[in-house]
Amino acid sequence: MTLSRRDFLKLGALVTASAALSSCAPVYRRLAGDLPTTAWTPLGERDFLALQRLTFGPRVEERARFAGIGLQAWIEEQLDFKTINDFDCELQLTPFKTLKMAANEIEGISNQLFENYDREKAPDELRRATLVRQLYSKRQLYEVMTEFWSDHFNIYIDKGNCFYLKTVDDREVIRKNALGSFRDLVWASAHSPAMMTYLDNQANQKGAPNENYARELMELHTLGVDGGYSQQDVMELARCLTGWNVKEHFWLGDFVFKENLHDTGTKNILGMTIPNNGIKEAEQVIETLVTHPSAARFVATKLARRFIADQPPVELVEKASKVFLTSKGDIKSVLRIILLDGLPLAQPKYKRPANFVLSAMRMLNVETDAAGVQDYLLRMGQLYFNWTTPDGYPDRSEAWQGNLMPRWQFAFALIRNEIGGTKHNLKSLLDVASTGILQDDVDSISSLLLGASMSNTVRDELIKSIRSAGANEEETLQVIAASLIASPAFQWR
Amino acid sequence: MLTQTTWMPRLSFAPTNTAQRGDTLVVIFLRGAADVLNMVVPHGEDAYYQLRPSLGIPRPDDTSAKKDERAIDLDGFFGFHPSMQTLTNAWQSEQLAIIHACGAPDESRSHFKAMELMERGVDDERGPASGWIGRHLAALNTGNVSPLRAVGMGTRPQKSLAGSVPVSVLRSIADFHLGGDMRALKQMQSALSSVYQNDVLGQDTLAIMNTLEKLDPQTYLAVRDAKYPDSEFGLALKQTAMLIQADVGLEVSAIDLGGWDTHFAQGVTSGLMPGLMKDLAEGLAAFHADMFDHMNKITTVTMSEFGRRCSENGSLGTDHGHGSMMMVLGGNVNGGKVHGAWPGLREGQLIGPGDLAVTTDYRDVLSEILMKRLNNPTVEQVFPGYKPTVRKIIK
Repeated sequence: MTLSRRDFLKLGALVTASAALSSCAPVYRRLAGDLPTTAWTPLGERDFLALQRLTFGPRVEERARFAGIGLQAWIEEQLDFKTINDFDCELQLTPFKTLKMAANEIEGISNQLFENYDREKAPDELRRATLVRQLYSKRQLYEVMTEFWSDHFNIYIDKGNCFYLKTVDDREVIRKNALGSFRDLVWASAHSPAMMTYLDNQANQKGAPNENYARELMELHTLGVDGGYSQQDVMELARCLTGWNVKEHFWLGDFVFKENLHDTGTKNILGMTIPNNGIKEAEQVIETLVTHPSAARFVATKLARRFIADQPPVELVEKASKVFLTSKGDIKSVLRIILLDGLPLAQPKYKRPANFVLSAMRMLNVETDAAGVQDYLLRMGQLYFNWTTPDGYPDRSEAWQGNLMPRWQFAFALIRNEIGGTKHNLKSLLDVASTGILQDDVDSISSLLLGASMSNTVRDELIKSIRSAGANEEETLQVIAASLIASPAFQWR
Repeated sequence: MLTQTTWMPRLSFAPTNTAQRGDTLVVIFLRGAADVLNMVVPHGEDAYYQLRPSLGIPRPDDTSAKKDERAIDLDGFFGFHPSMQTLTNAWQSEQLAIIHACGAPDESRSHFKAMELMERGVDDERGPASGWIGRHLAALNTGNVSPLRAVGMGTRPQKSLAGSVPVSVLRSIADFHLGGDMRALKQMQSALSSVYQNDVLGQDTLAIMNTLEKLDPQTYLAVRDAKYPDSEFGLALKQTAMLIQADVGLEVSAIDLGGWDTHFAQGVTSGLMPGLMKDLAEGLAAFHADMFDHMNKITTVTMSEFGRRCSENGSLGTDHGHGSMMMVLGGNVNGGKVHGAWPGLREGQLIGPGDLAVTTDYRDVLSEILMKRLNNPTVEQVFPGYKPTVRKIIK
């Protein structure tokens, strides 16, 4: 790995800061995000909802910023993500060395000569890094989109060599293009060794085609299942993709086109005749797929489902599809329509587990090493990169309703500071806002977690139920915070 | 505000079949490739003793060996390793079947690859990445939406459970508790009852929590003198028994027993592998005795990713082989019988570098259980591309 001078300087700064991290608590505190210095005010229902869609759960300072500049400016600020200084988050990522490694380097450190592979290190680092970014990054919309594309181009990290290839895919495919162009995303994914491995394109060769990747490239990555292609098109695209493979020896884990496995016959796809042209055949098809009206509609629908409603409004999808086509798949342009036109129409969505966990952690200014939390994500059903089928973690509310226990356990464990390497700042937050009156403090917690206060009746009933179980005032506040995180309302965003 | 969700639908997935709940399935995976030739010993084969001069388990009638070091005869040809003596009750009650020379087509002899393929229930790396149990659960609507429908015992769910149906992972039954002392627990429960007063699923979850709260593996009393071994494996089986008795909707319990990769000094009648066999046999025997009155509604199956080399290696162990062995325990099992064609251990009968051939695909065994005991009419969705043969292991 070569380092530019700039990388080197950055690295130096990071090392110094990591040293400080271990010895100096105030620095650590600062890294976890500054605590607010003023109390937060309740947010209007629509504003709170918008912020919940645009972030993994709004922090107090994000609420203040949003209140200051308004929805449109906030979105523009977030879309221009590279101008947002994210040094604090970068610093938190320094322990995860595999993030920046090439596939063969990760394979090298995973390969334990006599003991098979250490299959845990790279996935563990990638999972922790993902949580760190979702939690600490100020580029929240970028992280939300990173999650979106990670589902769209889903890869199960435990299938074959994906355990070390996914790290590269995450960096070079998803994160590189999350707010770029759809064409570049599909292109990068098609040349991704992790994707070739996950969807069996390694086994796709002349005379013995494997349709797995060819099918999903059309069905799940571009056109959608009713996007106007036939089984014949799948088979022909599979033939075009014969030889798209992964290096097994030198530069192991890199993409390679294996000429000798390629089917050299003429193919017919979506009405096009494709003469023998090696790797360029499938590349030509990809260029067609990414500008296809079906792809525009499919991606617009999925974005609208992610940000707006399980049943996306038809006119919104139409408008966003048009912009997709005119902008040649510019993700930012499509997002602007989805968000600005769509958010006023947004319907409640059930938080997926990562969103649930992250929103509680962000709202309570939690500090974490991102390790202990993973176990909860696993038990809730959304450990990162652990969805086996290529459709990605479901985005419809109903798919997630039904596994409450681990959410409750997380809520109480978080508030009791029982999750390894993880600590919340509820008390410090309340110190900023407190009037010393229990009811007021409960209103503050409710506003923090749910956007606004509960009705006085609901609040007083909740306080009463906890007090009657023998809780003192401090315990009451803690149990209220935990039960609000565990509550039906907090499961929705 | 806290009750805004009551109008939301509870269930999402649309399984292709509706069926009555069948047996509780207990799947035990022996990780590391168990040396099945020393578990169910082919004492009727001379070749076995030629291949294993040091590791062979003496014949039941071999008076040159101590009685408790000889194989325990099952049918005149096969015999249990003496460490599995506790399983003879289940064998004699004809509720335990053995399928020998059983396994998968994969010949990679790689633990990782073989386990992955077997847990996914597929022939090679192509095909669905979900697990066979996960696909079974997703294909079948039994009207059971319990959060404990499928439980993986241990710290992470077995790959076989992977799929669209949520799986609970239980290290112990305490995993379904909220933690904290009694005082804190009371406070939490009051708060949850308050915020979930109008939510059916929340109320159900609270009810299961209250049921499990009364279950304590420490003070659990098994019946019929059943003694679960004091091990992780014993605890997993004991907790499975407790969940079945508590009637909390358990359909599948997946349990791992690791440590079978015995390349070095595996032990003949005592030591590493006999210890594992003892744990396995005592656990199964205790579960069988304890759950005897429920056996008509339980099917337990053991499996391992492959078998080991027929000849012993130079360090008193065995290397990776091929054919393995499965055991099926339950009230509706054609038990007291060793199923499967025996391919033999003589030269010309072995495959690859000297391994037991596979004459029964493991999916035949699992398919028959799923069809006959778990009411799944579409096993082709569970094992895509495979056409199972019914081996009459289940009545």
